[in-house]
Amino acid sequence: MIQAVLADDEVLARQKLRQLLREIPEIEVVGEGATAAETIDLVRATKPDLLYLDVRMPDMDGFDIVGELSAAGAPAMPCIIFTTAYDRYALRAFEIHAVDYLLKPFTLERFRSATQRALEQIKAGRQSPHGDAPKSANGTPYTTRIVFKSKGRILFLPVSEICWIGAEENYVRICTQSETHLLRETMTHLEEKLDPNLFLRVHRSSIVNLSYVKEVRPEVDGEYGVHLLNGQKIPMSRSYRSRIKNWLER
Amino acid sequence: MHPLIFIAGVTLLGLLFALQEWISSRFWNYHVNLNLLMQAWGVQYFIWGVLCWIVWWTLRPQINSASIKSMLFLFFPLSILVSLCEEVIWVAMFPRIPLGKPPMPFLQRLSFQLDAELVNSLVLFWSAFFLFRGIGYYQRYREKERVATQLQSQLVQAQMRALRMQLNPHFLFNTMNGISSLMRTDVAAADLMLEQLSRLLRITLHRGEAQFIPLSDEMEFIEMYLAMQDRRFAGRVRQEMAVDPRVHDAIVPTMILQPIVENAYGHGLSKLTSSVGVLSIEASSVGSVLRLCVTNSGTGLRPIGTNGNGNGSNSGKGVGLANVQDRLKMHYGNDYTFSISEIGDNRVQVVMTLPLHLAARPIENTTGYGA
Repeated sequence: MIQAVLADDEVLARQKLRQLLREIPEIEVVGEGATAAETIDLVRATKPDLLYLDVRMPDMDGFDIVGELSAAGAPAMPCIIFTTAYDRYALRAFEIHAVDYLLKPFTLERFRSATQRALEQIKAGRQSPHGDAPKSANGTPYTTRIVFKSKGRILFLPVSEICWIGAEENYVRICTQSETHLLRETMTHLEEKLDPNLFLRVHRSSIVNLSYVKEVRPEVDGEYGVHLLNGQKIPMSRSYRSRIKNWLER
Repeated sequence: MHPLIFIAGVTLLGLLFALQEWISSRFWNYHVNLNLLMQAWGVQYFIWGVLCWIVWWTLRPQINSASIKSMLFLFFPLSILVSLCEEVIWVAMFPRIPLGKPPMPFLQRLSFQLDAELVNSLVLFWSAFFLFRGIGYYQRYREKERVATQLQSQLVQAQMRALRMQLNPHFLFNTMNGISSLMRTDVAAADLMLEQLSRLLRITLHRGEAQFIPLSDEMEFIEMYLAMQDRRFAGRVRQEMAVDPRVHDAIVPTMILQPIVENAYGHGLSKLTSSVGVLSIEASSVGSVLRLCVTNSGTGLRPIGTNGNGNGSNSGKGVGLANVQDRLKMHYGNDYTFSISEIGDNRVQVVMTLPLHLAARPIENTTGYGA
């Protein structure tokens, strides 16, 4: 059983969390805090695995709570999912390795996916998320998730959910199974951030996630195309073909 | 005008007169001491400069608004007084002048000087008077113009705000009504719609008062809007979007596409009964022009006049489209086109062309990488 604490100064907000959590049988709510002080005491007493945390609390903000909890040297810091009406703390939340950042109001679906991620992380024994991550040539670890704003939401998108990435001039389009997101970013920068064992640049204007690749097939015109599991076809350019050959031959 | 600049200018003028007198006396073979000439003229004009500035400084409003009457009864006596003052000071400073005559007592020299110079002095005074008055006029004119342009831009902004306001709330209330209806039948769907509405509002709020935004932002909004419409129309409309990547950064007026898309649904797509409708949005660049094109199936928008009922020119267009045109006109003058036409097999097409400006946008960075 995974134990969770809910922290929000609004009773209706806590009620919503409780109701939504009823649908997830693996989680047991062990306490609710309406103030920062209450929440800190509660977390110290119950040592939960998961904390749903509002950013704006009457006495301290959510980040102060996190600071307080980690400063005390508590060995078991809970996984944190922020729930807030403010979008401007997202980068900060990302930096302190929060699992997700839910903008109010959120849907059951969005809540489930956030909670699911937290559960996976907890079950994986809460390994330090960047301790053994593969590192790039200059020693910085490859990114495992990306935070960005898209269509009025904040997404902490695990790179494993990206199917492929297409270049659109000054932008890149990140395609997942269900959605696409336009980000102001360059392919080169993105390519540097992504683990080359997982992502392969197959064209000047496309990067594919290898785990979504079904096959690489010659086309009628003699060129090769990368076929994804979802049926999409991405053209491959000659100059990048050797890269995919290397990958295929492994 | 800075007093020092004015006084220096006037003094320089005096020095030029001195030079002129020296040159002409050389021409007639008189020998006059240039140095003394310079001093006499320079000092005279310097005194004039100072006195005129004092008059201007103390009587500026009166000078600017003086009527003929006050010119006669206030400034004419003043001009004589100032001229007298100037001569008194000057005569006291140059006891050796007039040259070539035996030394004279002060009063005699003064009357000699007044005889020779009073008319010149009066001319000088009145030249300065009208110069100042002219400057006053010019300054007030500039000020008025500045205020006028300011008012103009405030007016435009107020109009813009009013126009934008017309676009948002009615959509807002319709959506809320939709949510209210779903609440009774399908809680999850109501929840989703509420979340989508919040996302739309977040984007709108984030834009604030911006009059222009990059097309990518406008399209993001449209995508959200379309997602909500899709729910309402339960998949009966196929949505197609094609944005040339080169125009993602093109600057467009905020909320320029939404009323057109809304109109496509309201007048065309919502009236389709059996078949699947199509809504397509295209954005491309043609030379230095941005072309935005919204096509929908359905009969809604007949070009005005063809349906023959003739009840007002806006009958088929709706307030939203009129707003779009008003805003385009305000932003671009005559530098835009807007057309609605029915193209073949029951399709209506709205085409806008605007000057293509690309945003060099200082991006607020909300993208981050990490674990």
